[in-house]
Amino acid sequence: MNDIFRLRIAFQTMKDNKKITIIITLLFMGMAAMYCGMFPSFKGVLEDMIATGGAEPFEPFFGPAAADMATYVGFINLELYQIFWVVILGILLGFIAASQISKEIEGKTIDLLMSNPVSRKQIVFEKFIGLIPLILIINFATMLTVIGTTVAIGEDLNLYYLFLTHLASIPYLLAVIGIGLLISVIIDEKMKASIFFIALLMGMYVLESISKIVPDYEGIGYVSITHYFNPYDSLKFGKVDISGVIVLIAVTTVCLIISMLYFEHRDIEVT
Amino acid sequence: MDVIITKNLTKYYGEIKGVENLSFTVKKGEVFGFLGPNGAGKTTTIRTLLGYLQPTRGSATIFGKNIEEDIVEIKREVAYIPGDLNIYGHLTGKQFLDYFAALRSREMTLLDELLKIFKVPLERKVKGYSKGMKQKLGIIQAFMDDPEMVIMDEPTAGLDPLLQQKFYDFILKQKKKGKTMLFSSHILSEVDKICDRVGIIRNGELVALEDVETLKHKRGKKIRLKIKGKPETFKGPKDIKIKDGWIEFVVTNNIDQLIKKLSKYTILDLEINDFALEDIFIHYYEGQT
Repeated sequence: MNDIFRLRIAFQTMKDNKKITIIITLLFMGMAAMYCGMFPSFKGVLEDMIATGGAEPFEPFFGPAAADMATYVGFINLELYQIFWVVILGILLGFIAASQISKEIEGKTIDLLMSNPVSRKQIVFEKFIGLIPLILIINFATMLTVIGTTVAIGEDLNLYYLFLTHLASIPYLLAVIGIGLLISVIIDEKMKASIFFIALLMGMYVLESISKIVPDYEGIGYVSITHYFNPYDSLKFGKVDISGVIVLIAVTTVCLIISMLYFEHRDIEVT
Repeated sequence: MDVIITKNLTKYYGEIKGVENLSFTVKKGEVFGFLGPNGAGKTTTIRTLLGYLQPTRGSATIFGKNIEEDIVEIKREVAYIPGDLNIYGHLTGKQFLDYFAALRSREMTLLDELLKIFKVPLERKVKGYSKGMKQKLGIIQAFMDDPEMVIMDEPTAGLDPLLQQKFYDFILKQKKKGKTMLFSSHILSEVDKICDRVGIIRNGELVALEDVETLKHKRGKKIRLKIKGKPETFKGPKDIKIKDGWIEFVVTNNIDQLIKKLSKYTILDLEINDFALEDIFIHYYEGQT
Protein backbone atom coordinates (compact mmCIF):
# COMPACT_ATOMS: atom_id res chain seq x y z
CA MET A 1 0.00 0.00 0.00
CA ASN A 2 2.91 2.35 0.58
CA ASP A 3 3.66 2.29 -3.11
CA ILE A 4 0.50 4.16 -3.95
CA PHE A 5 1.88 7.27 -2.27
CA ARG A 6 5.17 7.27 -4.12
CA LEU A 7 3.50 8.53 -7.27
CA ARG A 8 6.24 7.58 -9.73
CA ILE A 9 3.77 7.32 -12.58
CA ALA A 10 2.18 10.63 -11.58
CA PHE A 11 5.58 12.36 -11.71
CA GLN A 12 6.31 10.80 -15.07
CA THR A 13 2.91 11.98 -16.33
CA MET A 14 3.78 15.51 -15.22
CA LYS A 15 7.14 15.32 -16.97
CA ASP A 16 5.53 13.91 -20.10
CA ASN A 17 3.05 16.79 -20.13
CA LYS A 18 5.67 19.47 -19.57
CA LYS A 19 5.65 20.74 -23.11
CA ILE A 20 1.87 20.81 -23.45
CA THR A 21 1.58 22.52 -20.05
CA ILE A 22 3.90 25.30 -21.19
CA ILE A 23 2.09 25.71 -24.50
CA ILE A 24 -1.40 25.89 -23.01
CA THR A 25 -0.25 28.16 -20.19
CA LEU A 26 1.32 30.60 -22.65
CA LEU A 27 -1.78 30.41 -24.83
CA PHE A 28 -4.07 31.29 -21.97
CA MET A 29 -1.78 33.99 -20.67
CA GLY A 30 -1.82 35.47 -24.16
CA MET A 31 -5.60 35.23 -24.39
CA ALA A 32 -6.06 36.77 -20.95
CA ALA A 33 -3.72 39.65 -21.73
CA MET A 34 -5.41 40.22 -25.07
CA TYR A 35 -9.00 40.25 -23.83
CA CYS A 36 -8.28 42.33 -20.75
CA GLY A 37 -6.13 44.71 -22.76
CA MET A 38 -8.78 45.03 -25.48
CA PHE A 39 -11.46 46.25 -23.10
CA PRO A 40 -10.74 50.02 -23.20
CA SER A 41 -11.10 50.14 -26.97
CA PHE A 42 -14.32 48.07 -26.90
CA LYS A 43 -15.92 49.89 -24.03
CA GLY A 44 -17.54 52.65 -26.07
CA VAL A 45 -18.92 50.31 -28.73
CA LEU A 46 -20.39 47.98 -26.10
CA GLU A 47 -22.00 50.82 -24.19
CA ASP A 48 -23.70 52.00 -27.38
CA MET A 49 -24.83 48.47 -28.10
CA ILE A 50 -26.42 48.04 -24.70
CA ALA A 51 -28.05 51.48 -24.87
CA THR A 52 -29.74 50.51 -28.14
CA GLY A 53 -30.85 47.12 -26.79
CA GLY A 54 -28.24 45.19 -28.74
CA ALA A 55 -27.45 42.88 -25.83
CA GLU A 56 -31.00 41.66 -25.40
CA PRO A 57 -30.72 38.62 -27.68
CA PHE A 58 -27.93 37.33 -25.40
CA GLU A 59 -29.85 37.80 -22.20
CA PRO A 60 -31.70 34.51 -22.05
CA PHE A 61 -28.40 32.77 -22.50
CA PHE A 62 -25.93 34.76 -20.44
CA GLY A 63 -28.49 36.17 -18.01
CA PRO A 64 -27.68 39.44 -16.29
CA ALA A 65 -24.07 39.04 -17.45
CA ALA A 66 -25.14 40.09 -20.96
CA ALA A 67 -26.36 43.48 -19.79
CA ASP A 68 -23.11 43.87 -17.92
CA MET A 69 -21.02 43.42 -21.05
CA ALA A 70 -19.83 47.01 -21.13
CA THR A 71 -18.29 46.82 -17.66
CA TYR A 72 -14.81 45.41 -17.23
CA VAL A 73 -15.96 42.50 -15.06
CA GLY A 74 -18.85 41.68 -17.39
CA PHE A 75 -16.57 41.86 -20.42
CA ILE A 76 -13.84 39.53 -19.16
CA ASN A 77 -16.48 37.19 -17.76
CA LEU A 78 -18.08 36.74 -21.16
CA GLU A 79 -15.01 36.75 -23.35
CA LEU A 80 -12.43 35.12 -21.15
CA TYR A 81 -14.21 32.93 -18.61
CA GLN A 82 -17.48 31.85 -20.25
CA ILE A 83 -15.85 31.00 -23.54
CA PHE A 84 -12.15 30.38 -23.03
CA TRP A 85 -12.23 28.92 -19.56
CA VAL A 86 -15.39 26.85 -19.55
CA VAL A 87 -15.38 25.69 -23.16
CA ILE A 88 -11.90 25.93 -24.69
CA LEU A 89 -9.84 25.02 -21.62
CA GLY A 90 -12.39 22.32 -20.82
CA ILE A 91 -11.92 20.85 -24.27
CA LEU A 92 -8.11 21.03 -24.14
CA LEU A 93 -7.79 19.44 -20.72
CA GLY A 94 -10.38 16.78 -21.47
CA PHE A 95 -8.63 16.06 -24.77
CA ILE A 96 -5.38 15.46 -22.92
CA ALA A 97 -7.02 13.41 -20.15
CA ALA A 98 -8.88 11.24 -22.65
CA SER A 99 -5.60 10.31 -24.31
CA GLN A 100 -3.71 9.36 -21.14
CA ILE A 101 -4.46 5.63 -20.93
CA SER A 102 -5.77 5.15 -24.46
CA LYS A 103 -2.45 6.25 -25.99
CA GLU A 104 -0.59 3.70 -23.86
CA ILE A 105 -2.94 0.94 -24.97
CA GLU A 106 -2.86 2.02 -28.60
CA GLY A 107 0.92 2.41 -28.56
CA LYS A 108 1.37 -0.84 -26.57
CA THR A 109 3.54 0.89 -23.96
CA ILE A 110 0.95 -0.24 -21.39
CA ASP A 111 2.38 -3.77 -21.72
CA LEU A 112 5.69 -2.74 -20.24
CA LEU A 113 4.20 -0.33 -17.73
CA MET A 114 1.96 -3.08 -16.37
CA SER A 115 4.87 -5.50 -16.14
CA ASN A 116 6.00 -3.54 -13.09
CA PRO A 117 4.58 -4.30 -9.65
CA VAL A 118 1.90 -1.61 -9.86
CA SER A 119 -1.81 -2.32 -9.84
CA ARG A 120 -4.02 -1.11 -12.63
CA LYS A 121 -5.99 0.99 -10.14
CA GLN A 122 -2.80 2.71 -9.19
CA ILE A 123 -1.96 3.49 -12.81
CA VAL A 124 -5.33 5.23 -13.30
CA PHE A 125 -5.08 7.05 -9.98
CA GLU A 126 -1.58 8.29 -10.65
CA LYS A 127 -2.46 9.44 -14.17
CA PHE A 128 -5.22 11.52 -12.58
CA ILE A 129 -2.90 12.99 -9.98
CA GLY A 130 -0.33 13.68 -12.69
CA LEU A 131 -2.77 15.94 -14.53
CA ILE A 132 -3.60 18.15 -11.56
CA PRO A 133 -0.47 20.36 -11.79
CA LEU A 134 -1.54 21.21 -15.33
CA ILE A 135 -4.79 22.67 -13.94
CA LEU A 136 -3.05 24.54 -11.15
CA ILE A 137 -0.31 26.02 -13.30
CA ILE A 138 -2.68 27.28 -15.99
CA ASN A 139 -5.00 28.70 -13.35
CA PHE A 140 -2.31 30.51 -11.47
CA ALA A 141 -0.52 31.88 -14.52
CA THR A 142 -3.73 33.12 -16.11
CA MET A 143 -4.83 34.76 -12.87
CA LEU A 144 -1.52 36.59 -12.59
CA THR A 145 -1.82 37.73 -16.20
CA VAL A 146 -5.32 39.09 -15.60
CA ILE A 147 -4.10 40.95 -12.53
CA GLY A 148 -1.09 42.35 -14.37
CA THR A 149 -3.09 43.47 -17.38
CA THR A 150 -5.81 45.00 -15.19
CA VAL A 151 -3.25 47.05 -13.35
CA ALA A 152 -1.59 48.05 -16.62
CA ILE A 153 -4.79 49.37 -18.17
CA GLY A 154 -5.95 50.91 -14.89
CA GLU A 155 -9.27 49.06 -14.59
CA ASP A 156 -11.02 48.11 -11.38
CA LEU A 157 -11.26 44.48 -10.34
CA ASN A 158 -11.87 42.81 -7.01
CA LEU A 159 -8.81 40.61 -6.70
CA TYR A 160 -10.38 38.42 -4.06
CA TYR A 161 -13.34 37.72 -6.38
CA LEU A 162 -10.89 36.94 -9.17
CA PHE A 163 -9.05 34.50 -6.93
CA LEU A 164 -12.37 32.94 -5.94
CA THR A 165 -13.32 32.48 -9.59
CA HIS A 166 -10.10 30.67 -10.36
CA LEU A 167 -10.46 28.58 -7.23
CA ALA A 168 -14.03 27.68 -8.15
CA SER A 169 -12.89 26.61 -11.61
CA ILE A 170 -10.67 23.90 -10.14
CA PRO A 171 -13.50 21.47 -9.28
CA TYR A 172 -14.92 22.05 -12.76
CA LEU A 173 -11.60 21.28 -14.42
CA LEU A 174 -11.09 18.24 -12.16
CA ALA A 175 -14.47 16.95 -13.31
CA VAL A 176 -13.30 17.50 -16.89
CA ILE A 177 -10.18 15.35 -16.43
CA GLY A 178 -12.18 12.79 -14.44
CA ILE A 179 -14.57 12.33 -17.34
CA GLY A 180 -11.67 12.39 -19.83
CA LEU A 181 -9.83 9.67 -17.94
CA LEU A 182 -12.95 7.50 -17.78
CA ILE A 183 -13.26 7.72 -21.55
CA SER A 184 -9.55 6.98 -21.78
CA VAL A 185 -9.81 3.61 -20.04
CA ILE A 186 -12.79 2.54 -22.17
CA ILE A 187 -11.78 3.62 -25.68
CA ASP A 188 -8.47 2.15 -26.87
CA GLU A 189 -7.61 4.67 -29.58
CA LYS A 190 -6.44 8.02 -28.33
CA MET A 191 -7.93 10.09 -31.16
CA LYS A 192 -11.31 8.42 -30.83
CA ALA A 193 -11.24 8.87 -27.07
CA SER A 194 -10.32 12.55 -27.30
CA ILE A 195 -12.90 13.29 -29.97
CA PHE A 196 -15.53 11.46 -27.97
CA PHE A 197 -14.72 13.71 -25.03
CA ILE A 198 -15.11 16.87 -27.12
CA ALA A 199 -18.44 15.64 -28.44
CA LEU A 200 -19.58 14.89 -24.90
CA LEU A 201 -18.57 18.27 -23.49
CA MET A 202 -20.09 20.14 -26.43
CA GLY A 203 -23.23 18.05 -26.07
CA MET A 204 -23.49 18.97 -22.41
CA TYR A 205 -22.85 22.61 -23.20
CA VAL A 206 -25.57 22.65 -25.86
CA LEU A 207 -28.05 21.00 -23.48
CA GLU A 208 -27.29 23.60 -20.86
CA SER A 209 -27.76 26.36 -23.42
CA ILE A 210 -31.10 24.90 -24.50
CA SER A 211 -32.20 24.70 -20.91
CA LYS A 212 -31.57 28.41 -20.53
CA ILE A 213 -33.17 29.54 -23.76
CA VAL A 214 -36.17 27.25 -24.11
CA PRO A 215 -38.80 27.54 -21.38
CA ASP A 216 -39.94 24.27 -19.74
CA TYR A 217 -36.56 22.71 -20.47
CA GLU A 218 -34.72 24.11 -17.44
CA GLY A 219 -34.27 20.60 -16.08
CA ILE A 220 -31.97 19.27 -18.81
CA GLY A 221 -29.27 21.76 -17.87
CA TYR A 222 -28.52 19.76 -14.76
CA VAL A 223 -26.89 16.96 -16.78
CA SER A 224 -24.15 19.33 -17.90
CA ILE A 225 -21.07 19.91 -15.78
CA THR A 226 -20.90 23.45 -17.21
CA HIS A 227 -24.08 24.15 -15.25
CA TYR A 228 -22.19 23.89 -11.96
CA PHE A 229 -19.49 26.45 -12.58
CA ASN A 230 -20.63 30.03 -12.89
CA PRO A 231 -17.75 32.49 -13.26
CA TYR A 232 -20.02 35.55 -13.41
CA ASP A 233 -21.40 35.06 -9.91
CA SER A 234 -17.98 34.74 -8.35
CA LEU A 235 -16.28 37.40 -10.44
CA LYS A 236 -18.98 40.02 -9.93
CA PHE A 237 -20.47 39.21 -6.53
CA GLY A 238 -17.90 36.92 -4.91
CA LYS A 239 -20.50 34.14 -4.74
CA VAL A 240 -19.61 30.49 -5.16
CA ASP A 241 -22.38 27.95 -5.39
CA ILE A 242 -21.25 25.34 -2.87
CA SER A 243 -23.76 22.75 -4.02
CA GLY A 244 -22.32 23.10 -7.54
CA VAL A 245 -18.83 22.52 -6.18
CA ILE A 246 -20.06 19.41 -4.38
CA VAL A 247 -21.69 18.10 -7.56
CA LEU A 248 -18.45 18.62 -9.49
CA ILE A 249 -16.34 16.90 -6.84
CA ALA A 250 -18.84 14.03 -6.78
CA VAL A 251 -18.66 13.73 -10.59
CA THR A 252 -14.85 13.65 -10.40
CA THR A 253 -14.83 11.03 -7.65
CA VAL A 254 -17.39 8.80 -9.33
CA CYS A 255 -15.57 8.99 -12.68
CA LEU A 256 -12.27 8.17 -11.03
CA ILE A 257 -13.69 5.19 -9.14
CA ILE A 258 -15.47 3.80 -12.21
CA SER A 259 -12.27 4.28 -14.26
CA MET A 260 -10.23 2.36 -11.69
CA LEU A 261 -12.73 -0.46 -11.40
CA TYR A 262 -13.32 -0.74 -15.12
CA PHE A 263 -9.62 -0.68 -15.93
CA GLU A 264 -8.89 -3.25 -13.22
CA HIS A 265 -11.14 -5.80 -14.89
CA ARG A 266 -10.79 -5.20 -18.60
CA ASP A 267 -8.64 -7.26 -20.94
CA ILE A 268 -5.59 -5.61 -22.45
CA GLU A 269 -5.57 -7.35 -25.80
CA VAL A 270 -2.87 -7.34 -28.41
CA THR A 271 -4.14 -5.30 -31.31
CA MET B 1 9.35 -26.89 -6.80
CA ASP B 2 6.80 -25.76 -9.34
CA VAL B 3 6.94 -22.08 -10.10
CA ILE B 4 4.01 -21.95 -12.48
CA ILE B 5 1.04 -24.25 -12.13
CA THR B 6 -1.89 -23.91 -14.49
CA LYS B 7 -5.08 -25.92 -14.25
CA ASN B 8 -7.40 -25.98 -17.24
CA LEU B 9 -6.51 -22.41 -18.00
CA THR B 10 -8.91 -21.20 -20.67
CA LYS B 11 -9.32 -17.88 -22.42
CA TYR B 12 -12.06 -17.08 -24.89
CA TYR B 13 -12.35 -13.74 -26.63
CA GLY B 14 -16.13 -13.71 -26.72
CA GLU B 15 -16.90 -16.69 -28.92
CA ILE B 16 -13.39 -17.03 -30.28
CA LYS B 17 -11.10 -19.50 -28.63
CA GLY B 18 -7.76 -18.15 -27.46
CA VAL B 19 -6.49 -21.11 -25.44
CA GLU B 20 -8.35 -24.00 -23.89
CA ASN B 21 -7.70 -26.27 -20.92
CA LEU B 22 -4.02 -25.59 -20.56
CA SER B 23 -2.57 -27.58 -17.70
CA PHE B 24 1.16 -27.49 -17.23
CA THR B 25 3.82 -26.69 -14.70
CA VAL B 26 7.13 -24.88 -14.93
CA LYS B 27 9.78 -25.92 -12.44
CA LYS B 28 12.11 -23.66 -10.58
CA GLY B 29 15.38 -23.18 -12.39
CA GLU B 30 14.30 -24.49 -15.74
CA VAL B 31 14.04 -22.90 -19.14
CA PHE B 32 10.62 -23.72 -20.48
CA GLY B 33 9.96 -23.23 -24.17
CA PHE B 34 6.53 -22.48 -25.42
CA LEU B 35 6.41 -23.50 -29.01
CA GLY B 36 3.88 -22.98 -31.73
CA PRO B 37 3.22 -21.15 -34.98
CA ASN B 38 1.78 -17.65 -35.07
CA GLY B 39 -1.78 -17.57 -33.82
CA ALA B 40 -1.54 -20.83 -31.87
CA GLY B 41 -2.16 -19.12 -28.53
CA LYS B 42 1.33 -18.51 -27.14
CA THR B 43 0.81 -14.82 -26.51
CA THR B 44 -2.70 -15.38 -25.12
CA THR B 45 -1.28 -17.85 -22.61
CA ILE B 46 1.46 -15.49 -21.52
CA ARG B 47 -0.87 -12.51 -21.25
CA THR B 48 -3.37 -14.52 -19.24
CA LEU B 49 -0.64 -15.70 -16.88
CA LEU B 50 0.52 -12.14 -16.35
CA GLY B 51 -2.92 -10.69 -15.72
CA TYR B 52 -3.34 -8.75 -18.95
CA LEU B 53 -6.28 -10.98 -19.84
CA GLN B 54 -8.82 -12.43 -17.47
CA PRO B 55 -9.08 -16.20 -17.69
CA THR B 56 -12.49 -17.43 -18.84
CA ARG B 57 -12.08 -20.65 -16.86
CA GLY B 58 -9.41 -22.46 -14.94
CA SER B 59 -6.74 -21.11 -12.68
CA ALA B 60 -3.03 -20.56 -12.40
CA THR B 61 -0.53 -19.78 -9.70
CA ILE B 62 2.92 -18.28 -9.98
CA PHE B 63 5.23 -18.71 -6.98
CA GLY B 64 2.20 -20.05 -5.15
CA LYS B 65 0.19 -16.87 -5.71
CA ASN B 66 -3.05 -16.79 -7.62
CA ILE B 67 -2.83 -14.80 -10.85
CA GLU B 68 -6.27 -13.32 -10.38
CA GLU B 69 -5.71 -12.14 -6.83
CA ASP B 70 -2.04 -11.41 -6.34
CA ILE B 71 -0.82 -10.24 -9.71
CA VAL B 72 0.99 -7.19 -8.28
CA GLU B 73 2.87 -9.39 -5.80
CA ILE B 74 3.69 -11.83 -8.58
CA LYS B 75 5.16 -9.02 -10.66
CA ARG B 76 7.66 -8.23 -7.94
CA GLU B 77 9.35 -11.51 -8.82
CA VAL B 78 8.40 -11.94 -12.45
CA ALA B 79 9.53 -9.72 -15.29
CA TYR B 80 8.07 -9.67 -18.77
CA ILE B 81 9.37 -8.97 -22.25
CA PRO B 82 6.29 -8.45 -24.40
CA GLY B 83 6.15 -9.55 -27.98
CA ASP B 84 5.82 -6.67 -30.42
CA LEU B 85 7.33 -4.50 -27.76
CA ASN B 86 7.02 -0.75 -27.70
CA ILE B 87 8.81 1.70 -25.45
CA TYR B 88 8.03 5.36 -24.75
CA GLY B 89 9.53 7.14 -27.74
CA HIS B 90 9.85 10.53 -26.06
CA LEU B 91 12.18 9.20 -23.35
CA THR B 92 15.86 8.48 -23.78
CA GLY B 93 17.02 4.96 -23.01
CA LYS B 94 18.42 6.16 -19.72
CA GLN B 95 15.26 8.04 -18.73
CA PHE B 96 13.22 4.94 -19.49
CA LEU B 97 15.44 2.67 -17.40
CA ASP B 98 15.47 5.19 -14.53
CA TYR B 99 11.67 5.39 -14.61
CA PHE B 100 11.29 1.62 -14.51
CA ALA B 101 13.98 1.20 -11.87
CA ALA B 102 11.95 3.57 -9.68
CA LEU B 103 8.82 1.49 -10.24
CA ARG B 104 10.60 -1.72 -9.26
CA SER B 105 12.03 -0.30 -6.04
CA ARG B 106 14.79 -2.90 -5.93
CA GLU B 107 18.54 -2.91 -6.46
CA MET B 108 19.41 -2.94 -10.14
CA THR B 109 22.09 -5.55 -9.59
CA LEU B 110 22.42 -6.71 -13.18
CA LEU B 111 22.07 -3.37 -14.94
CA ASP B 112 25.78 -2.73 -15.54
CA GLU B 113 26.40 -6.24 -16.78
CA LEU B 114 23.40 -6.07 -19.12
CA LEU B 115 24.47 -2.71 -20.52
CA LYS B 116 27.84 -4.22 -21.36
CA ILE B 117 26.30 -7.20 -23.18
CA PHE B 118 23.45 -5.38 -24.88
CA LYS B 119 24.81 -2.02 -25.88
CA VAL B 120 22.15 0.62 -26.48
CA PRO B 121 22.53 4.35 -27.09
CA LEU B 122 21.33 5.41 -23.64
CA GLU B 123 21.38 9.13 -24.32
CA ARG B 124 19.30 8.89 -27.48
CA LYS B 125 15.51 9.07 -27.51
CA VAL B 126 13.89 5.67 -27.96
CA LYS B 127 12.00 7.13 -30.94
CA GLY B 128 15.28 6.92 -32.87
CA TYR B 129 16.01 3.31 -31.88
CA SER B 130 15.97 0.48 -34.40
CA LYS B 131 13.81 -2.57 -33.72
CA GLY B 132 16.84 -4.47 -32.47
CA MET B 133 17.86 -1.65 -30.10
CA LYS B 134 14.35 -1.51 -28.65
CA GLN B 135 14.43 -5.26 -28.17
CA LYS B 136 17.74 -4.97 -26.33
CA LEU B 137 16.30 -2.27 -24.09
CA GLY B 138 13.33 -4.56 -23.45
CA ILE B 139 15.69 -7.33 -22.38
CA ILE B 140 17.67 -4.98 -20.14
CA GLN B 141 14.57 -3.68 -18.32
CA ALA B 142 13.34 -7.21 -17.70
CA PHE B 143 16.55 -8.57 -16.22
CA MET B 144 18.03 -5.46 -14.58
CA ASP B 145 16.81 -6.21 -11.04
CA ASP B 146 17.64 -9.92 -11.34
CA PRO B 147 14.07 -11.22 -11.03
CA GLU B 148 13.30 -14.81 -10.02
CA MET B 149 11.54 -15.46 -13.30
CA VAL B 150 11.32 -13.80 -16.68
CA ILE B 151 8.51 -14.49 -19.10
CA MET B 152 9.41 -13.63 -22.67
CA ASP B 153 7.29 -13.47 -25.77
CA GLU B 154 9.53 -14.17 -28.76
CA PRO B 155 12.43 -12.26 -27.21
CA THR B 156 14.94 -12.76 -29.98
CA ALA B 157 12.79 -11.14 -32.66
CA GLY B 158 14.80 -8.33 -34.20
CA LEU B 159 18.16 -9.44 -32.79
CA ASP B 160 20.98 -10.34 -35.15
CA PRO B 161 22.51 -13.85 -34.82
CA LEU B 162 25.47 -12.62 -32.78
CA LEU B 163 23.20 -10.93 -30.25
CA GLN B 164 20.91 -13.92 -30.20
CA GLN B 165 23.87 -16.01 -29.12
CA LYS B 166 24.77 -13.50 -26.41
CA PHE B 167 21.19 -13.61 -25.26
CA TYR B 168 21.18 -17.43 -25.09
CA ASP B 169 24.42 -17.33 -23.09
CA PHE B 170 22.90 -14.84 -20.71
CA ILE B 171 19.77 -16.96 -20.26
CA LEU B 172 21.83 -20.04 -19.50
CA LYS B 173 23.87 -18.07 -16.99
CA GLN B 174 20.71 -16.94 -15.23
CA LYS B 175 19.49 -20.52 -15.27
CA LYS B 176 22.65 -21.64 -13.50
CA LYS B 177 21.83 -19.16 -10.76
CA GLY B 178 18.52 -20.97 -10.28
CA LYS B 179 16.35 -18.47 -12.11
CA THR B 180 13.35 -19.66 -14.07
CA MET B 181 12.60 -18.70 -17.63
CA LEU B 182 9.55 -19.17 -19.78
CA PHE B 183 9.69 -18.09 -23.33
CA SER B 184 7.65 -18.49 -26.42
CA SER B 185 9.11 -18.98 -29.81
CA HIS B 186 8.38 -20.24 -33.24
CA ILE B 187 12.07 -20.71 -33.94
CA LEU B 188 12.86 -24.31 -33.16
CA SER B 189 16.61 -24.10 -33.20
CA GLU B 190 16.65 -21.71 -30.25
CA VAL B 191 14.30 -23.87 -28.23
CA ASP B 192 16.53 -26.80 -29.10
CA LYS B 193 19.56 -24.88 -27.86
CA ILE B 194 18.44 -23.51 -24.52
CA CYS B 195 15.24 -25.15 -23.33
CA ASP B 196 14.98 -27.97 -20.84
CA ARG B 197 11.36 -28.64 -21.53
CA VAL B 198 9.00 -27.63 -24.21
CA GLY B 199 5.26 -27.27 -24.49
CA ILE B 200 3.88 -27.40 -27.99
CA ILE B 201 0.67 -25.51 -28.53
CA ARG B 202 -1.65 -25.91 -31.47
CA ASN B 203 -5.00 -24.24 -32.02
CA GLY B 204 -5.03 -23.07 -28.44
CA GLU B 205 -4.42 -26.50 -26.99
CA LEU B 206 -1.34 -28.08 -25.54
CA VAL B 207 -0.47 -31.06 -27.75
CA ALA B 208 2.84 -32.07 -26.21
CA LEU B 209 4.79 -31.40 -23.06
CA GLU B 210 8.17 -33.06 -22.89
CA ASP B 211 11.82 -32.81 -22.03
CA VAL B 212 13.61 -31.59 -25.11
CA GLU B 213 16.00 -34.57 -24.94
CA THR B 214 13.25 -37.16 -24.47
CA LEU B 215 11.34 -35.65 -27.30
CA LYS B 216 14.30 -36.02 -29.61
CA HIS B 217 15.04 -39.58 -28.48
CA LYS B 218 11.47 -40.62 -28.90
CA ARG B 219 11.52 -39.55 -32.48
CA GLY B 220 14.59 -41.62 -33.25
CA LYS B 221 17.09 -41.09 -36.04
CA LYS B 222 16.70 -39.85 -39.54
CA ILE B 223 18.37 -42.04 -42.16
CA ARG B 224 19.19 -40.91 -45.69
CA LEU B 225 20.97 -43.25 -48.06
CA LYS B 226 21.81 -43.94 -51.66
CA ILE B 227 22.14 -47.46 -52.96
CA LYS B 228 23.46 -48.95 -56.15
CA GLY B 229 20.53 -49.81 -58.34
CA LYS B 230 16.99 -48.52 -58.30
CA PRO B 231 16.01 -46.96 -54.94
CA GLU B 232 12.52 -48.47 -55.33
CA THR B 233 14.01 -51.92 -54.81
CA PHE B 234 15.00 -51.03 -51.24
CA LYS B 235 12.92 -52.80 -48.63
CA GLY B 236 12.72 -50.98 -45.35
CA PRO B 237 10.13 -49.47 -42.99
CA LYS B 238 6.78 -48.49 -44.40
CA ASP B 239 7.18 -44.74 -44.42
CA ILE B 240 10.03 -44.59 -46.91
CA LYS B 241 10.30 -41.49 -49.02
CA ILE B 242 12.34 -41.31 -52.19
CA LYS B 243 13.69 -37.97 -53.23
CA ASP B 244 16.27 -37.30 -55.98
CA GLY B 245 17.60 -40.84 -55.66
CA TRP B 246 17.90 -40.54 -51.85
CA ILE B 247 15.99 -42.96 -49.69
CA GLU B 248 14.73 -41.33 -46.49
CA PHE B 249 13.14 -42.90 -43.45
CA VAL B 250 13.07 -42.82 -39.66
CA VAL B 251 14.30 -45.47 -37.28
CA THR B 252 12.90 -45.27 -33.80
CA ASN B 253 14.39 -48.22 -31.98
CA ASN B 254 16.44 -51.04 -33.39
CA ILE B 255 19.34 -49.52 -35.25
CA ASP B 256 21.29 -52.80 -35.27
CA GLN B 257 18.63 -54.53 -37.35
CA LEU B 258 18.81 -51.74 -39.84
CA ILE B 259 22.57 -51.91 -40.22
CA LYS B 260 22.36 -55.66 -40.83
CA LYS B 261 19.71 -55.11 -43.42
CA LEU B 262 21.76 -52.42 -45.13
CA SER B 263 24.67 -54.84 -45.52
CA LYS B 264 22.71 -56.61 -48.25
CA TYR B 265 22.88 -53.52 -50.45
CA THR B 266 25.73 -51.65 -52.00
CA ILE B 267 25.66 -48.33 -50.18
CA LEU B 268 26.83 -45.32 -52.16
CA ASP B 269 26.19 -42.74 -49.46
CA LEU B 270 24.72 -42.70 -45.98
CA GLU B 271 23.62 -40.01 -43.51
CA ILE B 272 22.38 -40.67 -40.00
CA ASN B 273 21.00 -37.67 -38.13
CA ASP B 274 19.33 -37.01 -34.84
CA PHE B 275 15.82 -35.88 -35.11
CA ALA B 276 15.75 -32.13 -34.87
CA LEU B 277 12.88 -30.31 -33.23
CA GLU B 278 11.90 -29.15 -36.68
CA ASP B 279 10.96 -32.70 -37.58
CA ILE B 280 9.00 -33.13 -34.37
CA PHE B 281 7.27 -29.89 -35.01
CA ILE B 282 6.32 -30.95 -38.50
CA HIS B 283 5.08 -34.20 -37.05
CA TYR B 284 2.75 -32.39 -34.65
CA TYR B 285 1.50 -30.03 -37.26
CA GLU B 286 1.10 -32.54 -40.05
CA GLY B 287 -2.24 -32.43 -41.77
CA GLN B 288 -2.83 -28.93 -40.52
CA THR B 289 -3.34 -26.10 -42.89
